[in-house]
Amino acid sequence: MGYGRSDSYRVATTQENKDVKEKPKAKGADLEELKKEVPLTEHKMSIEEVCQKHNTDIVQGLTNAKAAEFLIRDGPNALTPPPTTPEWVKFCRQLFGGFSVLLWIGAILCFLAYAIQAATEDEPAGDNLYLGIVLSAVVIITGCFSYFQEAKSSKIMESFKNMVPQQALVIREGEKLQINAEEVVAGDLVEVKGGDRIPADLRVVSAHGCKVDNSSLTGESEPQNRSPECTNDNPLETRNIAFFSTNCVEGTARGIVISTGDRTTMGRIATLASGLDTGKTPIAKEIEHFIHIITGVAVFLGISFFILSIVLGYSWLEAVIFLIGIIVANVPEGLLATVTVCLTLTAKRMAKKNCLVKNLEAVETLGSTSTICSDKTGTLTQNRMTVAHMWFDNQIHEADTTEDQSGASFDKSSETWVALARVAALCNRASFKANQESLPILKRDVAGDASESALLKCIELSCGGVKAMREKNKKVAEIPFNSTNKYQLSVHETEDENDNRYLLVMKGAPERILDRSTTIMVQGKEQPMDEELKEAFQNAYLELGGLGERVLGFCHALLPEDQFPKGFAFDCDDVNFPTENLCFLGLMSMIDPPRAAVPDAVGKCRSAGIKVIMVTGDHPITAKAIAKGVGIISEGNETVEDIAARLNIPVSQVNPRDAKACVIHGSDLKDLSQDQMDDLLKNHTEIVFARTSPQQKLIIVEGCQRLGAIVAVTGDGVNDSPALKKADIGVAMGISGSDVSKQAADMILLDDNFASIVTGVEEGRLIFDNLKKSIAYTLTSNIPEITPFLFFIIVNIPLPLGTITILCIDLGTDMVPAISLAYEIAESDIMKRQPRNPARDKLVNERLISIAYGQIGMIQALGGFFAYFVIMAENGFLPSRLVGIRLYWDDRSNNDLEDSYGQQWTYEQRKIVEFTCHTAFFVSIVVVQWADVIVCKTRRNSVFQQGMRNKILIFGLFEETALAAFLSYCPGMDVALRMYPLKPSWWFCAFPYSFLIFVYDEIRKLILRRHPGGWVEKETYY
Amino acid sequence: MTKEEQKPGEGKEGKTRWTDCIYNPRTGEFIGRNASSWGLILLFYLVFYGFLAGFFCLTMWVMLLTLEDHVPKYNDRVPSPGLVIRPKSLDIVYNRSDPANYGQYIRHLDTFLQRYNDSEQASNELCLAGEFYDQDAEAQKKACQFRRSTLRICSGISDPNYGYSEGKPCILVKMNRIIGLKPQGEPYVNCTAKRDSPLSVQYFPAAARIDKMYFPYYGKKVHEKYVQPLVAVKLLLTKEDYNKEITVECRVEGSNLRNNDERDKFLGRVTFRVLVTQ
Repeated sequence: MGYGRSDSYRVATTQENKDVKEKPKAKGADLEELKKEVPLTEHKMSIEEVCQKHNTDIVQGLTNAKAAEFLIRDGPNALTPPPTTPEWVKFCRQLFGGFSVLLWIGAILCFLAYAIQAATEDEPAGDNLYLGIVLSAVVIITGCFSYFQEAKSSKIMESFKNMVPQQALVIREGEKLQINAEEVVAGDLVEVKGGDRIPADLRVVSAHGCKVDNSSLTGESEPQNRSPECTNDNPLETRNIAFFSTNCVEGTARGIVISTGDRTTMGRIATLASGLDTGKTPIAKEIEHFIHIITGVAVFLGISFFILSIVLGYSWLEAVIFLIGIIVANVPEGLLATVTVCLTLTAKRMAKKNCLVKNLEAVETLGSTSTICSDKTGTLTQNRMTVAHMWFDNQIHEADTTEDQSGASFDKSSETWVALARVAALCNRASFKANQESLPILKRDVAGDASESALLKCIELSCGGVKAMREKNKKVAEIPFNSTNKYQLSVHETEDENDNRYLLVMKGAPERILDRSTTIMVQGKEQPMDEELKEAFQNAYLELGGLGERVLGFCHALLPEDQFPKGFAFDCDDVNFPTENLCFLGLMSMIDPPRAAVPDAVGKCRSAGIKVIMVTGDHPITAKAIAKGVGIISEGNETVEDIAARLNIPVSQVNPRDAKACVIHGSDLKDLSQDQMDDLLKNHTEIVFARTSPQQKLIIVEGCQRLGAIVAVTGDGVNDSPALKKADIGVAMGISGSDVSKQAADMILLDDNFASIVTGVEEGRLIFDNLKKSIAYTLTSNIPEITPFLFFIIVNIPLPLGTITILCIDLGTDMVPAISLAYEIAESDIMKRQPRNPARDKLVNERLISIAYGQIGMIQALGGFFAYFVIMAENGFLPSRLVGIRLYWDDRSNNDLEDSYGQQWTYEQRKIVEFTCHTAFFVSIVVVQWADVIVCKTRRNSVFQQGMRNKILIFGLFEETALAAFLSYCPGMDVALRMYPLKPSWWFCAFPYSFLIFVYDEIRKLILRRHPGGWVEKETYY
Repeated sequence: MTKEEQKPGEGKEGKTRWTDCIYNPRTGEFIGRNASSWGLILLFYLVFYGFLAGFFCLTMWVMLLTLEDHVPKYNDRVPSPGLVIRPKSLDIVYNRSDPANYGQYIRHLDTFLQRYNDSEQASNELCLAGEFYDQDAEAQKKACQFRRSTLRICSGISDPNYGYSEGKPCILVKMNRIIGLKPQGEPYVNCTAKRDSPLSVQYFPAAARIDKMYFPYYGKKVHEKYVQPLVAVKLLLTKEDYNKEITVECRVEGSNLRNNDERDKFLGRVTFRVLVTQ
């Protein structure tokens, strides 16, 4: 598998060639075509040519008729969701997946047996037909159940998708129309303004200060200008194309739609990403593994007893009936439904905690996650530039960056601060959008770029009344920021009515501002800028820059009244006023601060053994600062560069093994070989990848997976979607995430907060533990279900437990308690242990089987058999009489079978006793399962430590008992299910065994706790 | 793809072969365990199952202690006796001119009636007809006589072929033993053919009576010599009846014993088919 090294996203995805080629040819050809360069030519055409090509008019736009025609031709302007499996295929998968095949075989054998009976006997017994129908019904019902559960969870996603209908402003027949973005067609003349999402791929025909944020497409976080001229041959680079689903940050633009829906650049990427093949989820693998075990046991037992019964001289028909019985007894019919319900419950619980799970199985994946590759912006940080530090009066002041303004404040009394704040407020084009007075300042929407908004909010917070201040200090001239000047200035009237001087305010790159200043304000007094102060400035600048913050310098000057009297015409193009010799005020630095909950969450991940890797497109310094801030690089850990700086030696002399942390630049990553990459991932515990391109994200994910890690990836952009798809679990952002990333992801964080992932991990681990318990509980009752058949065949006793009663246990009484175990609380701090090793820690392992089948199950079987022998004996058939009686017992024509006391029984009379035994055996299993469910509550702790606070479990205990009583006593059950009322005393037969299970397992767990790592733990801790 | 390629550690420990799953010569492991591990786990299971067996035996022993020797704890599952016939077949099909053909029936009846031989029955009590023979007080219960000779021509004494050779076979009807059963009224057996024209039958003892003196039954331990009362039914088939399958139903009538249970076709009644060929 070769690794794409190009910067282009499209090449990165070609590594999936092999996967793609294995697919049917038509699809393969499609994807091949998608991988080619974007066939855009419109950016090189003149506007007239574009209009001609799309039959549109540059002023009038399309006619309504044409638009309708194009809409029919091209379809709606929306991404087609990834090819979904047809519903009937999904349904069939549920019908024939898992254990269903075994049960179908059982059902078919039943019908076959009935057919043989019908053909050979005059009056065939309906038992087999009945059982066959029941079995088919069971498969179909459980299949439907799983199907609907799955459909339900995918429906959550659909409703989510439709939450925000998009609007677009188009010009048709010369009139501006607000229409649904889906109805936009190629050739439409579209107008976008700051804040809008681009409705389709546009060829810009006119623009006013238009900037677009292409980050979701290219990963570039800086907004880029858009203008009508073609600046680059590459359509992705040229300025006159705006891409579908990117955002217009500011300004306005008008453009002609050149492609819509799937034909857009974004659409092509999305279609390609959806072609990526993803592996099975860890839990799916576990369940498959478990199904293999159970199926293996069932087939082995079934076949060997089939052969045995033939050898023992039973007829073919009887052997087939035994085979059916063994299959039914071996398959935990209700288990897969239980697992589905447990996962659904957890998914619901997670949705409440802002983790929306798209794919049910992904619920557990987070729990197994051993590496999280987290995006920085928006996930770890607030995605909002905030003023973090200020330098004035020769001192660094810290601003409050917390989301709820709970942090410390600084001294605001200094005059320098007043002047600085005034400059920051006046030399600032950002403004609050209207009608948000009721909102807290930080939540208000701002029109303007990120750093200006940060300044605006900072001033509004600390001084207030920016709007009033601006009104008082009327702006008379302005030079906007440009990249050659690297400053922005404006000239204002002063507040003081009597003062007719003009105030010149300037902000920009600190070194440029410093160059233009000759004085500096300290404690409100202007002082000449001396070397000492300059050095202090340099130090402060370096320090703030080293924190990864964006630093701005501020200065001002009062223009002398004699040269610039009131009404002076300031000319901004041909500057006719001084822009030098100003008074330096201070620095303000901004950063996108980490979210409050993130450091704690990262710490939790670390103690949970999860490696958190930061992957960002941002600069290494900023990335490192944030990584340090949130603990991804923990305190005291150094990178190679840090060590070099500390020891004052060149970087090359530092042993890379000494550094636990490392910050890797995307351009370095490009040159790494696969081995170097593995080495890097293996030997550093704290890694930050900065300046990474989308395909590098994919390489990082694959690198981690190569090392056996289960990788979670968070991301929000379209460029993240291949990594999201490739990851074992992709986590998209609910608020900032693009639709494509949400589509590629398995999980969506509704609040974009990294801390929610931790809850997800916790829930995932808990459900894995609880599923083990649930499965241990369910599997245990398999032994008392199988053994009756084995004894029936080997020692020829009347059948102690029938197939119908087995189904009553598996699908009736066992269900609620098994599900209730999903509500069990964690036994210990699950966030303090290492993630499970998928190669070693299986959902169902030999220890679980040993406990469930070999130990508890055996006790249960004895309990059931005891009840059976009690009923038989109390009705006249002592155990000694029973052995070997089967042939006479099941002989319909034998109607005077003698019991131990000399009484004679007709066939029907003794069958009633037999069915009463089935009922008693069934009830006994319920009784021993009481103890089993209590025992399964914990794997290590005592029940007395864990407590009985699980209300669902207590409900489950009562429910199964009530159900058992209902099945036994409800009139008509003797006909419907052949279950008969029990004498009260028979309910107590299994009590000693129930008690024994409880005592035995408590002792086992006591030894387990007393001797950690001992033999008991090695052999029985599942 | 990458996910499956990576099995950590594989290939590093030298060549692993699939046979290692069964026996790994390097670690001495047999199916994933070495000798001491196998020893321990087997010992554990031996002790564990030994204990379980002990526990099971203990509970069984306690349960058996609660049982009575002579009478089952409950007999509510056998409230009413079933009716069966001898020879033990529900399809009596034979060729009357071929002794080998019906020989099995004859032999069956012969063996069955051994216990009713007059010589054997002489040691039993001569009870009062029409009265229950209550003997609750006695430890060893006595049995009432039922002499084979009371079956007259169906006894096999005068006609060793029980009428089979002449095409008028004898069928013995008996009622199942149920401990403590005391039928009310005067039970008798009534056999009818399921066809339009009536079938003439002859009963022995006369009137097909099942005498009350044979009740109650006290169980085989204390009531060793007990023999069930029998009713012999001689089907008086005529020439016209030969080569035709006749379905005969016998019921216990004249008492409280159930003979019309929907599900149990043998409760107080029995249906069998007779086909005699010439």
